[in-house]
Amino acid sequence: MTPLEWQRDLKRKGSKLLLSSILIAMHCHHYNINLQHMLEITMGDQGIELMYRSAEEASYFMFKEYFRKYGRIKTLKSKIELACSVYQNCGLGVLHFLKIQSDCGHAISPASHHVTGWLAKHGRRDTTGCHFTRGWIAGLFEVLFGRPLGTYKVVETACKMMRNDTCIFEIME
Amino acid sequence: MAIDGQKIIHAVMEGSRYRDAKGIIPLFGVYLSLFSVRYYNKLSFEFETTIKDTNPYNAETLLTDAAQECGYATFHGIRNSREWEEIVLPMIEKPEDQLEGFVAVAVAFGWGDLQIVELVPNERLVVRANESYEATGYLESYGFSNSSKCYMLRGVCGAFMDLIYGEAYPEGCFTFSAIEEKCRAKGDKFCEFVVKKSFKKKSFF
Repeated sequence: MTPLEWQRDLKRKGSKLLLSSILIAMHCHHYNINLQHMLEITMGDQGIELMYRSAEEASYFMFKEYFRKYGRIKTLKSKIELACSVYQNCGLGVLHFLKIQSDCGHAISPASHHVTGWLAKHGRRDTTGCHFTRGWIAGLFEVLFGRPLGTYKVVETACKMMRNDTCIFEIME
Repeated sequence: MAIDGQKIIHAVMEGSRYRDAKGIIPLFGVYLSLFSVRYYNKLSFEFETTIKDTNPYNAETLLTDAAQECGYATFHGIRNSREWEEIVLPMIEKPEDQLEGFVAVAVAFGWGDLQIVELVPNERLVVRANESYEATGYLESYGFSNSSKCYMLRGVCGAFMDLIYGEAYPEGCFTFSAIEEKCRAKGDKFCEFVVKKSFKKKSFF
């Protein structure tokens, strides 16, 4: 796996926390899940869409910067490895991409921050809930294949929040 | 003995490099994640704009309450954690010192450069922040505002007082509430949060 160089890239600049020049913050599962719950309850599908688009946009600009900075990482495979490393090292969980093409893809996640957090706070749910990860994947694909924001749609077909064995994501253009 | 915030910051930074096989970061009694502040700001500010005219819930209250409930649970977990016991507890001489420990952890989390300006035990807390990512993000995306925009920090400041002076966990949440009297998003030089006893105890959460 192509790792991010954490010792070098996770830095403080005054009170700011930076990951390779991207301003980041640490938040716990309480806050992340509270936000999700609030969006779903008050806005329904519109709230889910907002969560997806917010993750997509943040992921898009983050990976644009990473791949620019890590210019030596050129192949699609190595970029995906870097992205998965970022996901894991940011405490977001584990992602495996089983199929990656410019017009479609398939990914699974056996562990996730949002799944762990949701189950801890609310228990099982009846609908898929990994809206953050869907958006995160969409933003990544748009950078990988040089497409604008909003190009890809990511659907979750199985979710550990529903007590499925793993989360499964289908990516389509 | 004064609280050494740098020790806490170091512990958080080192701790965050521990990743178990599931890519989950269990630290300070919670599960931590690191992500771009762009995500949180877009989420909060578009939520506020979208429901402003169409929903009976008040966005400002919902966002602040989400943060206060989170802050209450998180910092309760933090002060009961092994890391707190090892690093912070030796520095605490009186209950109010916990506040400095909480603020140091919040700074370590990248939420802004928080400073305690005033504390009247069990009555009033004033916290100032010069680099709140919420205010910075709002200014960059929307320009100046007529109202304060640091909902997360506002809720967290309320939670700090809940934990120190409220009833025993979990009953103390929302004993206090905060108002952001100054905000860089409004053109003020810094963001300032004033926390007092609350008249409400109920929340969406």
